[in-house]
Amino acid sequence: MLCEKCKMREANIRYTEVVGGVKTEYNLCSHCAREMDFGHYSAVFDTEYPIGKLLADLFGLNGDGGENDELDAGQVVCPTCHTAYSDFVKDSRFGCPDCYRVFDLLMSENIKKVQGNDTHTGKKPLYNHGNGQARTEEDEAAKLLRNIELLDSRLREAIQEEEYEAAARYRDEIRELKERLSEHA
Amino acid sequence: MLKWYQETENQHDVFVASRIRLVRNLEHYPFPVKLSDEGKRELAGKLEEGLKDIGSVLGQEFRYFSLSLLDETERDALRERRALHGTETKQEDMGSLLLSEDETVGITLAGEDHVRLQCMSGQAELSRLWEEAGRLDDYINERFDYAFHEKYGYLTAYPTNVGTGLRAAVTLHLPMLSAGKRFGKLVAEIGRFGVAVRGVYGDGNENYGSLYEISNQKTLGVTEEEVISLVKQMADRLAASERKMKSVTLKNHRPDMEDEIFKSYGVLRYARKLSVKEAMTYLSQVRAGEMEGLLQFKRPVNMYRLMMEVQPANIRMLTPKEGENDLNQARAAYIREMLPDLV
Repeated sequence: MLCEKCKMREANIRYTEVVGGVKTEYNLCSHCAREMDFGHYSAVFDTEYPIGKLLADLFGLNGDGGENDELDAGQVVCPTCHTAYSDFVKDSRFGCPDCYRVFDLLMSENIKKVQGNDTHTGKKPLYNHGNGQARTEEDEAAKLLRNIELLDSRLREAIQEEEYEAAARYRDEIRELKERLSEHA
Repeated sequence: MLKWYQETENQHDVFVASRIRLVRNLEHYPFPVKLSDEGKRELAGKLEEGLKDIGSVLGQEFRYFSLSLLDETERDALRERRALHGTETKQEDMGSLLLSEDETVGITLAGEDHVRLQCMSGQAELSRLWEEAGRLDDYINERFDYAFHEKYGYLTAYPTNVGTGLRAAVTLHLPMLSAGKRFGKLVAEIGRFGVAVRGVYGDGNENYGSLYEISNQKTLGVTEEEVISLVKQMADRLAASERKMKSVTLKNHRPDMEDEIFKSYGVLRYARKLSVKEAMTYLSQVRAGEMEGLLQFKRPVNMYRLMMEVQPANIRMLTPKEGENDLNQARAAYIREMLPDLV
């Protein structure tokens, strides 16, 4: 079958669109398909579709449905090693330990998808020779931050599930923890 | 000192090897991918200096390899013997390797991650290896602070290793099971429990020698003990299926099975040229025959060692001459020399 658009090349892509119950079918060659606007599926028609792209979809750079803060997520850069979030998405590889802190909020949901969980429960290092005193202070703040993140993800889940009572409870808890955090600072 | 794969005592019919791998990174250092070659060498040097007495933990000497100084064949030979991690990107090549005398412990420095610690053995003993790896881990940690995150655990270059940084793996010899039609389905089923099954040797499309490695996929949110018990459980399941299939085949088709095994032995005994595929296929048959008691050798031999040492880079290390034919000749000669006579 020839491509319906250019009628020159062999059609090798069949695209079926169902809008409002009406089914439309296109038979296109890969060249014309690339020029059509299929939203974020367009990437499929790029000559190369590396595995990184699949992960990129998973790690959510290609639009989850227009939350504004996610649009610029790719430009978030780790100040220590200058890895941008978009670099991480491309290679699915971090540049330095600090990346985990910098990209934490952006990726925590997706780490969960890859690993089935996002909280370590195993062995902990026996030793840390770094300035121990400062560390406990930092730990307290870090603990609060972690709890806030945890509650935040539960809050989002609750909203998605339309469990508004639970969501309100999480919101109040988050507010309280944030107050305690600012006292710390 | 014998290498772990040269041991001939207590060999199991299905369990060929166990492996525990831990990935660790140092605090305040970018991951190797963000380091220049110079930076990697410097980091590897610093780690090497700090770990120069690590042999005292296990009471054996370690050899130090600067990987960039080895040629490709030497590095590939280490990969085939599984002392070195086989990544396509070969990022390790600028780092270093600390390898224990018996090759049970390999520590890659400044490879994909700062420290990749691996303990291997020819027995089914993941728990003992985990205990050993834990002691080495603590020894390293005593000298270097690790990058550790309260929530994400041990931080690694790839998010697929984060958390425990642990890969627990068991190598199984599954000649019966893998020849069966249901093998693909079985592998997929096991995958649902978060365990991966992959061929150890082969060319991408085809498995040579029916050796399969079973390992955990998840590293975060599970304890090390849970990971190990999961891998053990799945490996036991596969091993039980293999044994069951073997006993049924032996019962119903004994002459056919014996015929295949003795033919394989005959080829290995007298062939003048053997490709990797041929060698692996026949070695696998002979291993199964020996384990079943169908073949009885005059002296003990570790067939897994032969399977490892007939791989291209290892054979090339034994013969300086170039060319595929020479390699096939060298492989056949090596097997003729190593394979014992029958009783």
